[in-house]
Order: sequence, then structure tokens, then C-alpha cells
Amino acid sequence: MALDTATMLRRAEEARAAVPRARRRRGNPLRYAALLAICAAFLLPFVVMLTTSFKDPADVFRFPPRLLPDRWSLDNFGAAMDAMPFWRYLGNTVLVSGLAVTGTLLSCPLVGYALAKLRWRGRGTVLVLALGTMMLPPQVTLVPLYLMWDKVGLTGTYLPLVVPSFFGTPFFIFLMRQFLVNMPDDLLEAARLDGASELRIYWRIVLPLARPALATIAVFQFVWAWTDFLNPLIYLDDDSEYTLSIGLYNFFSEHGVEWGPLMAASVLFTLPALVIFLIGQRHFVEGIATKGLK
Amino acid sequence: MSKVTARRQLQGLAFASPWLIGFTLFIGGPIAASAFYSFTDFNLFQSPDFVGLDNFRAMLDDERFTRSLLNTLYLTVVGVPLGLGLALLVALALNADVRGRALYRAVVYLPTIIPIVVATYLWRWLLNAQYGYVNRIIGVFGVDGPTWLEDPAWTKPAVVLMGLWTVGGTAVIYLAALQDVPAERYEAAALDGAGAWARFRYVTWPALTPVTLFQLVVGVIAGMQIFAQPYLLTQSRLNQAAGGPDDSLLTYGTYVFQNAFVHLKMGYASALGWVLFLVTMAITAVLLLSSRRWVHYGS
Amino acid sequence: MEVAVKLARAFLAAGAALALLAGCGGSDDGSGDGPTEVVFSYLWAGAEAQALEQVIADFNASQTKIRVKGVSNPDFQKQLAAMSSGKGSFDISDHFGNGVGAWASKGILAPLDEYIAKDGFDTADFVPSALEQMKYEGKTYSMPIALHTQMLLYNKKLLSEAGIAAPPQTTEEWAQAIAKLTKRDGDKLTQLGYANAEIGTSLTTLGYAFGGEWFDGSGKATPNNPGTVAAAKFYVDNVPGKYGVGAVRTFTSGFGEYASPQNPFYVGKVATVIDGEWQAAFIKKNAPQLEWGVAPIPYPASRPDLEDTTQVTTSTLFIPANAQHKAEAWEFMKYLLGKEAMVKFSHALANLPARTSLLGDPAYADLPQFDAWLQALKSPNAKALASTPWAAQYSTDLNSAFDDIAQMRKTPEQALAAVAEKTGSYE
Repeated sequence: MALDTATMLRRAEEARAAVPRARRRRGNPLRYAALLAICAAFLLPFVVMLTTSFKDPADVFRFPPRLLPDRWSLDNFGAAMDAMPFWRYLGNTVLVSGLAVTGTLLSCPLVGYALAKLRWRGRGTVLVLALGTMMLPPQVTLVPLYLMWDKVGLTGTYLPLVVPSFFGTPFFIFLMRQFLVNMPDDLLEAARLDGASELRIYWRIVLPLARPALATIAVFQFVWAWTDFLNPLIYLDDDSEYTLSIGLYNFFSEHGVEWGPLMAASVLFTLPALVIFLIGQRHFVEGIATKGLK
Repeated sequence: MSKVTARRQLQGLAFASPWLIGFTLFIGGPIAASAFYSFTDFNLFQSPDFVGLDNFRAMLDDERFTRSLLNTLYLTVVGVPLGLGLALLVALALNADVRGRALYRAVVYLPTIIPIVVATYLWRWLLNAQYGYVNRIIGVFGVDGPTWLEDPAWTKPAVVLMGLWTVGGTAVIYLAALQDVPAERYEAAALDGAGAWARFRYVTWPALTPVTLFQLVVGVIAGMQIFAQPYLLTQSRLNQAAGGPDDSLLTYGTYVFQNAFVHLKMGYASALGWVLFLVTMAITAVLLLSSRRWVHYGS
Repeated sequence: MEVAVKLARAFLAAGAALALLAGCGGSDDGSGDGPTEVVFSYLWAGAEAQALEQVIADFNASQTKIRVKGVSNPDFQKQLAAMSSGKGSFDISDHFGNGVGAWASKGILAPLDEYIAKDGFDTADFVPSALEQMKYEGKTYSMPIALHTQMLLYNKKLLSEAGIAAPPQTTEEWAQAIAKLTKRDGDKLTQLGYANAEIGTSLTTLGYAFGGEWFDGSGKATPNNPGTVAAAKFYVDNVPGKYGVGAVRTFTSGFGEYASPQNPFYVGKVATVIDGEWQAAFIKKNAPQLEWGVAPIPYPASRPDLEDTTQVTTSTLFIPANAQHKAEAWEFMKYLLGKEAMVKFSHALANLPARTSLLGDPAYADLPQFDAWLQALKSPNAKALASTPWAAQYSTDLNSAFDDIAQMRKTPEQALAAVAEKTGSYE
């Protein structure tokens, strides 16, 4: 008898809710103080970046440096958006990052599940192999990889940047595996006994329960793809296809840096990724379903 | 093989197939190529000359190889545990039901979103011995800050400091794990009269050991390959590859880069790469073996 | 089953999107009718790139057979990767003079002699030392588009305050001036008579100024000779040796950004410095109130024949061996090397032109004191580092040695002898 998937899911949710979460202690002044100190430390460079982006050129190099601008000006933002085709680059970056996230979400949980929950010979070897590929410094595979793409004539396109993520990235595979290892086996066994196919179990039970993990790798992959500089530079030939991180180099010249516009461009660069993070993190930290990383 | 086992075998392979195919298509070839190059004299453009183990023998006499390895080991051995420790502290602090928690998390994660070239140049400015904010803040405590980027003794600590700034990713993962410790355990511990430290030591920490292992392994791998920050910190203009004062910031990654792209000694660079692979493997193996002693899984 | 279908559909949709992407990129040059497209991949970015794009636009407007597309590729790993493939993705690019030998020896640069001969391109107008750097084993592999020389910059106000009437001409005078121009407040330095703008360039230039040679006639590296040792000694004896390595380092660690109003020379922290011609534009922009002057680099009093020594470095243009439109790229290169384009470009970048006939061009008049650097190119003592296949290795080892010397971990003799030993294994 095929198990009603709604029932399966409901049972999973009940199991999840039944385990009491660790009580989060109420805030006390000491904790707030610690939080504020931590935030200040992490924020300082970003605050410098932010305030510099509003400064006039002379103000940027005022000595001794002052944190806040003399006069708040939007000139740098204008310069930043003029120096490169900002919206085009933004669109390109969104495209590449979006596709990379899609590929990762499609492939990494699949492989992670195989390494965590399925029993088959070679499982350990594949895990070690995947880990091993992370241990070779990228500089020595950069050119052979490029030549490989060149041979099939795909350099100059977005494909080398995006296609590999559809086949899985070891870091995320390993992370998914750690998340999934602690998923309760009884749920899965019950479904198997009821005749559900492995794929169905994966799609209907495992993925929903792993939502926080999925959100985690989605956000991480997005940020990686968003900030990647070298790969887009190496594989793209047409500067109309460039991404934002390459655009940042417009503010570096032979002997110096155009600080004001660079900081403005960096703020513009960071904001969308930050927004994605804020949206995504709601999924992966609040209301975690699985027993997470144990 | 029984039918069930055969089916399981097939399923396992099927689910893992994306990566297996991807490995064969994308990763396997270049890895094999680099392994081959490590036994050759190869300048990227002309046919490689087979030289057997010469590259590896040359490493033994190469003082910059030793130097870069030691520098990198310093950064890894000091930076990775410190980073994990800080990430854990931050996660513990954030694991409170305080208002605006989402915002604090975003603040902690923010540094990892800032592109590395911008962040590094920003830090160059922040670490200036006279007017940089780091030393100005240190100065508040009445101490003279070091000449971070010019003193060979302080360049690596500067890089460690920059690394600590980006523990947001690790902290976020720890946070996820923390919120997953079942409350009943804390209640049981409290009933037994355990104080805050004991609760941490016997309830929280054991639950965090698996993710700690993951972060240690991943952190070591990344630490051994660290390249971008030292590369960008030691440049006096773009596209220069230098080692910093007294080669104190010559990391293994930078040295591989120099050999591959500046000196066009791709054969030697590949050999260096594979030695790094072995060293990283060895450290990871030690970590994984030791993990049986201190990692608690499940239940 | 349905799950399998859903998954399959997801992958197929992604595949379709990717197939679209494949079409999206990779602009092949449509050969046949229409202008031939030549891709010019350059390392310059920002304002310099914009100046270059203007020149490209002028070229495209001036004729209809060739259309040049400029692409800014600020990282040279991209250059190398593209040059290693079978079909080049760019036809012309830029590089630095002393890297020519390394790339030429590996067969990735197209020799230009045939094109030069066929068009009767006159190379006599080019500065000889620059042109020499372009050659490897007798063949020309690059052409210089912009040159750089080094001169002694001095702060007029600080010099007059110290009672020095004119900039030093001999190294002995310079040593005395440095002593007068270095000020201390207790243990701490408040002003240095001399500091290195960039230690590699400064010390190699000084090496030449003291009569040293970094290469011998046959292209072998010679780091350890009386001139080079004397140069290193000059620096050590007059700066860190006299005032203490720690004190000097504390002082220099507080220096502001090079290309900013806080450059130590602009704010009077350093009284004399050896630097390149772009300072004319930089100072005009960042420190217009500075009273400064340019003088030839001092020579040892016993060697008046070394007067007007300077080091010439070059920015070069090259055509990769795997370029697809070499002939058209050469046409464009000729344009860039032509007087009109060269003046425009070098002026925009505040670099020196590579043609001797342009050295007096009025276009540079708005760059303060630029003339001094221009005239330096005419000096018989304008030296350039040889462009050998192992030049990068040599440079790295020299910089290491200079660091050891400046921090007084080794004496000049020891450090340079150590480099000499290493040169034995260069290939």
C-alpha cells in the first residue's frame, strides 16, 4: 500500500515538534554588551567602507583620518555606476549566481544523501575522493581545466562557470552529508517498508526535512558565486558578460586605488548579497527540523 | 550479491552519479594532468619534458619551499582553532532570544560577503601603524600597536586577525547546531546541579563535536591553501607576487602561484601542489582518526 | 515515478537554460563581409582604460577595414590561460618590457620582424635601450608603447630649510644632504632625508648610478659587483645603518598611500625620493601646493661619466602566437605606435612616449616638470634591465636580497653574493 505522502510528512512534522528544543535563555545585560562589542568589531571595516563611500575625494585622505564624512555626498556612487555598465554587470552576476545555486541545490543533496543514508559499496571511497579533490591547490588545475573547456570550444561563455555546480561541489556535498547523517532512520525505513521508492523518499521526506541545510548551502553558494573574480575573468572574453566583481577592478590603476568610487561600488556590490542572506537565513536558522549537525 | 544489496548498490551509485560524472568530466582530467606535470619540466606553452623526481628533489634544497610551508602551517595551526573558537563564542552569544537577532547574525556574516580584494585593501589601510584604526583602538589602552605589515613578526598575526573577521560563515553553522541541542538534556543537567560551565562541557560541547570536526577539516584545507590575502597584502601594485617582509607572508599558495604564473615553472608548481595535497591529507587523517576520541555522534 | 519525472524536468529545464547561455557567449568573428574584428586585451583598468578606449575609438573611426574591440583584463592569469589555448581569444595585448624574454623563449609571442620589414616601419625613432629590451635572440617580439624613467625628486622647502641651495649632484653631496634632512624627536624619526619609493626599482636604479651592472654583455646575471654593492651600501650607511632599522621601520610604517595626498613625499615626511614620471600628474592632482623639483640622479664624484644615469622600464605591446588576426593586429599596433596615438595615450597616462622625436612635444607641457624625465631618455646612461627568460626569477631573488639589506639582516656583500649563487641555476 503506497503511503499517503501527506501522512508521511505529517508524521515527520510531529516527530520534529515532539522533541523539545533547547531553551534559549533570555537576554541579560551582559549578553547584550557582549553582542554589541562583537557587532562593533565585525562592523568596523564595513562602517569604514560605508562612510568612505560618502566622502569627497579630499576627505577620503584627510589626516588624521576621521570616520564620518565632512560632507555626505553621493558623487562616488554616481562615479561607481558610470565606471562600468553597472546594471548589466548586476544582471550577469544574478544570472550566474542564480544558476550556480540552482545547480547546487539539484545535485549536492542528492549526492549527500547517497553518502549519508544509502548503504552501498564505495560510499566511503567517494567521500574521501570528494574531500581529496578539495586538497589540491586550485593554481595547478587552473590552466588544465581552462584548456579542457577550450578544447570543447566553450570558453567565452557562462557554461564553465555554471555547469560544474550541476554536478556537485565537494564542500556542499560534505556539508549536506553531515546534515543528513542525523536524520532519523526510522522515518525512512517506515517509508521503505511501505513500498515508497528511494527517489520518492528523497523528494517527499528528506528534502523538506532538510530545508535549513538546503537554505544554508544555497546562501553560501550564492555568496561564493557572487564574489568570484578569477573564474569569470578567465572564462569570459566579452566584457559585456562580465560580472560585478570584475567591474570592481575599474577602480584599481597602475599605482593606486580610487578609494571613494571603489568603496561605493563595494557597497553596491554587497547589498544584494546581504539581502539574499537576510531572506535565506530565516529558513536555515529558525525552526530547524532535523537534528542538524551532530 | 542479494537482490536487495544489488538494488541498494545501484541506488547509491545513481544518487551519487552527478558528482561521479562531474568528477570524470571536469575534475578528473585536470587532476590527472597536474599529477603528470609534476614529473615534468613544463612552462605552460611548450611540450613538457619528463624529468622524473627532479622537481621533488629540488624541493628539498629549496629554502623558499620550506619557508612557505612553515608560514602556511603557522597560519593554519594558529588561525583555524582561533577561528573556530571565536565562531563558537559568537554563536553562543547569538544563541539568545534577544531582539534583532537576525540583524546580529547578518552583521557577523557580512564580512564574508565583501569581496576579498576590497576587504584586503581596506585592511591594508586599517592596519597602517600610525593612522590605521586598529592601532588607534589599541592606543586607547595605552599600548603602542605593532607595525603590522612591515614587521616580519607581525605580518602573520595580521593575516590571522583578518581571518578572524570572517568567521561569520562558521558562526552561522555553529548557531544552527546549537539551536538543535534538545532542551531535556539541559534540564537534566540543571537538575543534577550543573553550573553554566558544566552545562557547556557536558551538554553543549558534545553535541557540537561533529560540526567542529567538519569545520576543522574544512578549515585546515582552506588554511593550507591560503593565497588571496597574503598575495594582495604584499603587492605594491597589481599583478605583483611578493613574499612580504623577510618572506614572512610567503604562503604555500603564493609560492605555487609564483612558480606557476610568474616564473612559468608549471611542472615545479604542480609538484608543489601535490606535496601540499599529501600534507593536507596527513593532517586530515590525523584529525579524523583522533575524532573517535572526542566526537559524539547522535542519540 | 512522478518524482523521477519532476527531477528529470528540473534538469532538462536547467539544461535548456544553459544551452541558451552557450549561445549567449562566445562571439565568433564573422569573417566575410564587414570589418575584421581584432580583440585588444589590456591590463589597464579605470581611468587609464578609458584613455585607451578613446584611442581605440579614434582608430575605428579612421578606417573601415578593421574594428578593434578593447577588453580590460586586469589580471595576467587570464592572459596566460588564453595564450595557452589553441585558438587565441585576443589578438594584441600589453605587458612589461623585461618580461619579453620569458614569453618569447616559450614561443607564445609572434615575432614582428617580418611585419616591420614588409611595411618598412621605421624603428630608428624609438629609444634604443627600450628597443633592445624587445628583442630575444635577435628577433623583435614586442614594441614599446610607453616608457618610464627614474629621477631624483626633492622637496624644495625642506632643502632650503636645511640650508641646501641646490639639489645634490654627487652622491657625496647627497649623503650630506640626507644627514641634514633627517630629523629626530628623541628616539623617533620625524623626517627622513631619503626613503625608497619602491625598493626594487630604487635600488636597481642606484646600482646603475654607482656604475654597477645587473647583467653582463652576454645576458648573464651579475648582481654582485662593486657598483651594485656600493649602491646598497650607500642606502644602508645613510638611512637604516645610521638611524636604526627599528626607528626607520616605525617611521615608514606610518606612511600614507602612495597614490594619495598622504604620500610621504607630498607631506614632507621624506625629503628626497627616486621615482618615475607619472609623479608629474600625481603631484599635480594630489599635492598641487607642493614645492618640488626634479634632478638627475646623483653620481659618485669620482665617476663623472655616470652622470644622468637612469633606469628605463617599458610598457609593451605584443601579438600572441595563437592570435587569429595577426596582420590586422599589426595594423592596429602601427597606429598605436604612431606619433598621434602615442602622444595622446602617453599623455593621458602621464607616461613617456617611446619615440625620441616626441620628447619635446608641447602636448606634455601641462605636466609639471615632465621635461626632466623626457630628457633623461636621451642620456647615454639610460639603462634597462635585460629581458631574459629568467628575468622574473632574478627579480624575485633581488627583491629578497634588497629586503635583507634594508632590514640589515645581511650585509650588501652577503646578500648580493647569495643572489649571485642562485643565478647559477637560472635557465
